[in-house]
Amino acid sequence: MPLLPVRWRWLVASGFLLCAPIVAGMAWLVLTALFDRVHGLVPAGPLAPENWAFVGSPSVGGRPPAVVALLNSVLFSFAVAAVAIVVASMAAYAISCLHFPGRSLYLAVVLVLHAFPAVSLLIAIFYILRVLGLFDTLVGVILVKTALELPLGIWLMKGFFDFLSWEMEMAALVDGMSRWGVFWKVALPMVRPGLLALGTFALLSAWGEFILPFTLIVSSRSWTLATYLQSFLTEAFTDFGMVAAVGLFYALPVLVLFGLGQRYLLNLYGGGVKG
Amino acid sequence: MRGIEVRLEGLSKHFGRVVALRSLDLEVRAGEMVAFLGPSGCGKTTTLLLVAGIYRPTTGAIYFGDRRVDGLHPRDRDVGMVFQSYALYPHLTLFENIAFPLRLKRRPEAEVRAKVSQTAELLGIGHVLDRRPGQVSGGQQQRAALARALVKEPQVLLLDEPLSNLDAQVRLQARAEIRRLQRDLGVTTILVTHDQAEALAMADRVAVFSTGEVQQYATPLELYQRPQNTFVAGFVGHPPMNVVRGRLEDGTFEADGWRCRVPRLSYRGEGYLGVRPEDLRVGGEVEARVLVAETLGREQLVTVRVGATELKLLAAQADGFAADSVVKLDIPPDRVHLFDAAGRRIG
Amino acid sequence: MEEATRAAVAARARERAWRGLWVPLLFLLPATLLVSLFYLLPVATTLYLSFTDISTVTFRNPQWVGWENYRDLVRDPFLGRILGNTARYVSLTLAFNIGVGLLLALLTSHVPERAGNPVRALWLLPRILPPVVYVLIWQGLTRESPFGLVSNVVGVSRNWITAEPWTVIVLANGMVGASFGMLLFTSAIRSIPADLFYAAAVDGATAWQTVRRVILPLLRWPLLFATAYQTLSLLTSFEYILLLTDGGPGFYTTTVWSLHAYKLALSNYFGNVQFGMGAAMAAVLVVVGVVVSVLYLRLFNFKALVGEPKIEVN
Repeated sequence: MPLLPVRWRWLVASGFLLCAPIVAGMAWLVLTALFDRVHGLVPAGPLAPENWAFVGSPSVGGRPPAVVALLNSVLFSFAVAAVAIVVASMAAYAISCLHFPGRSLYLAVVLVLHAFPAVSLLIAIFYILRVLGLFDTLVGVILVKTALELPLGIWLMKGFFDFLSWEMEMAALVDGMSRWGVFWKVALPMVRPGLLALGTFALLSAWGEFILPFTLIVSSRSWTLATYLQSFLTEAFTDFGMVAAVGLFYALPVLVLFGLGQRYLLNLYGGGVKG
Repeated sequence: MRGIEVRLEGLSKHFGRVVALRSLDLEVRAGEMVAFLGPSGCGKTTTLLLVAGIYRPTTGAIYFGDRRVDGLHPRDRDVGMVFQSYALYPHLTLFENIAFPLRLKRRPEAEVRAKVSQTAELLGIGHVLDRRPGQVSGGQQQRAALARALVKEPQVLLLDEPLSNLDAQVRLQARAEIRRLQRDLGVTTILVTHDQAEALAMADRVAVFSTGEVQQYATPLELYQRPQNTFVAGFVGHPPMNVVRGRLEDGTFEADGWRCRVPRLSYRGEGYLGVRPEDLRVGGEVEARVLVAETLGREQLVTVRVGATELKLLAAQADGFAADSVVKLDIPPDRVHLFDAAGRRIG
Repeated sequence: MEEATRAAVAARARERAWRGLWVPLLFLLPATLLVSLFYLLPVATTLYLSFTDISTVTFRNPQWVGWENYRDLVRDPFLGRILGNTARYVSLTLAFNIGVGLLLALLTSHVPERAGNPVRALWLLPRILPPVVYVLIWQGLTRESPFGLVSNVVGVSRNWITAEPWTVIVLANGMVGASFGMLLFTSAIRSIPADLFYAAAVDGATAWQTVRRVILPLLRWPLLFATAYQTLSLLTSFEYILLLTDGGPGFYTTTVWSLHAYKLALSNYFGNVQFGMGAAMAAVLVVVGVVVSVLYLRLFNFKALVGEPKIEVN
């Protein structure tokens, strides 16, 4: 529905202009990863499969194999998503559906943390991990990242649990269930869209996470793809063909998800959730 | 399946400062079907949820037979419940929904299958058991909810507005069906409803609730014939009873601008006169002006003005009531209900 | 209510509050543990460390130095430059975020869904793309000729990140942040009744007048919210600057407050890391963060969020 009396060609022109940088960026990434030399967006050399040699190579310039970084990234993201889903749902269910003293205080704290910029705590988190002996371990980073996802997760899931039918829960209780049972067998199956949303958020956020592994992990065997790729960027003479290939390799799951579920992602991020 | 007696003693429920239910004493006999009737917010659903164990009472006790249950978790009370929304689990098929309570009790699978199909057959939904709630009609959902409540053979069956989401035709049919089933099974049943026709048609006894208290607990006929106060008088019966404020003297009732004869009572002073529209007739000595006549089909509902009071009367369709015409009303003394200044029945 | 009943009610309320309490406790335990360990404790730890002389050397045995770090901070000759950088970064990026976000929202709500949605989705891409990949793309596009697209288009061969670091930082951050406002404003524009636009059209309003006099006044709250929210997150964010320029080129050219704190405490370039000093700078951010996010809470209708559960048994 056109809202404003504006001429169409203006619209088309400005829309094209606004989207051009993003399209150009993506095109650059793909072309540079595939060809030997790219001038602007024009391939100036032959196809270059050697850009992708890092995939099978045991080591590029003293780095660990890319496969290790890939596995670490997969482990990291899925662990964060899984733990965040379980822990956030449990807490959100309690806040939304259970009676306990201090309920509103708990929610208030969650809300404040939701707006609070967690990056500013990085220095203290570094110190705490050192004290706990979790510094330079994947487990430590997973725990930190999960914790930072929790306010958003609890907030999101509470919204879903709030819309759960009370009668459904009452029916389950009368049918002979405990609250613990109701949570797992009745409540969780009914908030599946919420679990999917939180899972997508957490996966995307953890997959892209850079600062945490960069700061809290030093041993290259625990590198994720983010730190692996970053190690190429700081080199004096960057082989852009190969680095673009690494970047494309790293971004591929995100791009596939984007290709398949644009509409879903739009709804997800448009739902007034943290960005 | 044999029902059990349910007794509520001094039961009350407060939500913060709000009193939802004040000191209720009530008993439901074994195998009886009782309806809790009242407008919304009157405490009837609160009472039902107390019996189910969803709420904890503020004071008082609940007994099932000799067993005190108010401290028990819902799962330990052995009640079946049907909700207004049916509360069927959308991710389970009807079969799985009905089997749900049995599976929770870890009954052998063979027994579960036998019981579920038996109950489903009883309710006529045997052919749709493999569908999900969203794929069957409202009437079938309602039966499935009933089957889920009955399959565990509860001692007490609780029905919370079970018919209000059905359309009119299906509702009449379901009403009779539930009643027949409840009689056959002999399960003690409490029905919560705001629909008086439903309560009067289905229940052995009806408890009329208002503002957190039971106004009267009696058989449907008694509620109709001898309402204990002006609330019940005005609430039960359709169209509702005319209730007029005025003065009671020896053998007469005097309202604003008119009077009529009533039975002789010792009570004198401010009070109320109640008379049902169907008991008012034309041909007496009270002069009334016709305001409007509404056709109800077989009958018509006529609104007349007597003095400063508006009264409704049911008359045969054939009788002509021209607007603004004057008629003589007969208020039969043996059909009037009299209440004192506080609204309590006298005589 | 009688005295006896009231006492009974109070007693029951106390009993109810504690009975079955282990159930919610169980549900809350993991979240509480993680949040305490990595949110609440770090707030206290940041404040504590900021009052110590903790560094690489004294890591195991820090000494309490009171306000020393804060005094040093105020005396730092580069403080002015860092504050100026921070102000520049936050204000310019914010302006880009809100401006482009609004423009995109207006544009995409004006065209049919089929055209609007892909544009919006495309702008989501910078946000969901891993930051390191996103920065890699910026580096590639801003290289010298003949490789860099920007150099080729402008016709001047430069490494634009070194030549125009602020422009690149603001654009790169802005293109990530614009989608936030875009989505927020889009849903706000959609909730404006269509009748208002018809009325404006009938009244003879031009496009600009419709935006000025109808849409913007109705977007007051989303605009305020996006501004407040993004100010706070920009103030503390440094990820893209770290990756793009690392605070350079040269001396502190693009170093903002949060990046400086990070580098003081956690980067090893200076050998002996001044952990306490970094903590003092972070503590300022933490305090600002806590105050502002508590203020957010007042913006929400909190009472409505905590309606009592209907089921009383746990």
